[in-house]
Amino acid sequence: MPERRFEDLRWPADRPVVDIDELVVEEGERLVLFGPNGSGKTTALRLMAGTIGGDRPDGVAYLPQRPYLFRGTARSNLELGLDDGERGRASQLATEFGVSDRLDGTARSLSGGERMRIALARTLASDAGVVLLDEPLAPLDHRDREQTATTIAAALHGRSAVIVSHDRSSAAILGDSLAVLVDGRIRQRGPIAEVLATPIDDVVAEVVGISNVLSGVAISGDGALVEVEWQGRTIVAAGSQTSRERVKVLFGGEAVAVHRERLDGASPRNVIEGTISDIRTVGRLLEVIVDCGVPVAALITPGSFETLDLHQGSQVFLSVKAVAMTAVSVGGAQ
Amino acid sequence: MDFIFDAFGEAADFLRESSGELGAVVGLTLLVAGIATVVAVTLGVPLGITLGLGRFRGRQLLLTFVNVGMGIPPVLVGLIVLMILWSDGPLGSLDILFTPIAMVIVQIFLALPIAAGVTAGAVSSLSRDAVEQLAALRLGTVRQGIVVVKEVWPGVTAAVAASFGRVVSEVGAVLIVGGNIKGETRVLTTAIVQETRQARFGAALALGLVLLIIAFIVTGTLTWLQSRERADA
Repeated sequence: MPERRFEDLRWPADRPVVDIDELVVEEGERLVLFGPNGSGKTTALRLMAGTIGGDRPDGVAYLPQRPYLFRGTARSNLELGLDDGERGRASQLATEFGVSDRLDGTARSLSGGERMRIALARTLASDAGVVLLDEPLAPLDHRDREQTATTIAAALHGRSAVIVSHDRSSAAILGDSLAVLVDGRIRQRGPIAEVLATPIDDVVAEVVGISNVLSGVAISGDGALVEVEWQGRTIVAAGSQTSRERVKVLFGGEAVAVHRERLDGASPRNVIEGTISDIRTVGRLLEVIVDCGVPVAALITPGSFETLDLHQGSQVFLSVKAVAMTAVSVGGAQ
Repeated sequence: MDFIFDAFGEAADFLRESSGELGAVVGLTLLVAGIATVVAVTLGVPLGITLGLGRFRGRQLLLTFVNVGMGIPPVLVGLIVLMILWSDGPLGSLDILFTPIAMVIVQIFLALPIAAGVTAGAVSSLSRDAVEQLAALRLGTVRQGIVVVKEVWPGVTAAVAASFGRVVSEVGAVLIVGGNIKGETRVLTTAIVQETRQARFGAALALGLVLLIIAFIVTGTLTWLQSRERADA
């Protein structure tokens, strides 16, 4: 199916907390609806799913924020509303989510995280053209979160999805584009690396924080550090990947050092070359946006800025320590 | 005081002696109340689920009707059904007045609001998360109904018990449309009225005891079904 168009997302009618004329999800796009608590993310997703607002669009699979399992076994909940083909896929996903051994127990005996993973497996198994997920990682332990995120990302590969999140790293792992919701309206929308690195204004900057995302392929690793192929070069990040797979490398703007000359010393292993495209003030610091193929944000002090004599258009070298970068698997061998 | 003890003695004698006639009365009581309960529950539980999940126009009005129906005086329902089935009434040509069919009809009208109202109450106590999940799953109407019935199972068994309790113990309406004809439309409640009016307290007491036992067995069974499902959850 081609793009999916959601129109007139407005609720409630008299004093809307969500007011979006149109939200288009491109084919195969995984769009993260990002925003602080109370920004209307969940309401917007419910409107898309049609559980409020009257419209009941076809072809959407929807995971509510607090999925509910009904009386019966975990398996009966896993298979609820699915056809035969989808059931097979749900069972496979339950295995990938690590809950296959819990299927014959009663749904009530499951922990919050297990319930979420059962509901996730059911939602992702659906044939629906668009998958809508509301904070799918929220009830999970920190320990389970990354593994689950990887499984979700793999299951969503090539599918259209809208994912609600208020957590930057979940958003970066699960999505490839980001729509920032502020007071029920979309304030900025674009590729995830671009929005995270170059927020259009201070409101968005405050919501998303400053962060960088590089999408690449893990080549080899020793269990602690992994070499990632990104835009024809190799960068080293903290990560447990040891074989070829798609990854996203996440790091904050504060982890990036800016230099005018190429560094010869071996200490920071990751050096990226680029051109300054923008300079902004962030509190008492400056944020330098460097175009390295994708925008990369670096936070520096006004002192260093003076010393380095930086301008828009300056050629710079960015260095990031490997341990300050986290490589997260996003599913799919490459 | 003695007459009370005498009455208990007579009751015992009555139960020992009148097996055939008592059997017919008990049988008809169970048949009429049973059919009326089954029909009322079959219609009322889906209605209650629809009202409880509620997202449609006219829901409030329908809910008001159900609530009024739960408390409507049975004699009034009996009177209205009597007038409808009367020989000059709109359905007089059916010629079913003073038959068990008329009794079943009047009892359905009495039990339906109870089945619907108690079910609606149980369904509206479902958490918002459960209701959101139901909407999210987009099950067909029947499939969704089954999921809801299982989820609010204790409420549904309460609806069945309350419906049966209302019709089996009801006297005014069945007396009006049934006529308490011996061997034809006499049920336990109308028989108790009959015996009491003739000051045969022993017989009335015995019939009351039988009614109590029936109510006990039925509600006991339903309570057992209720608790079994709880343990299962």
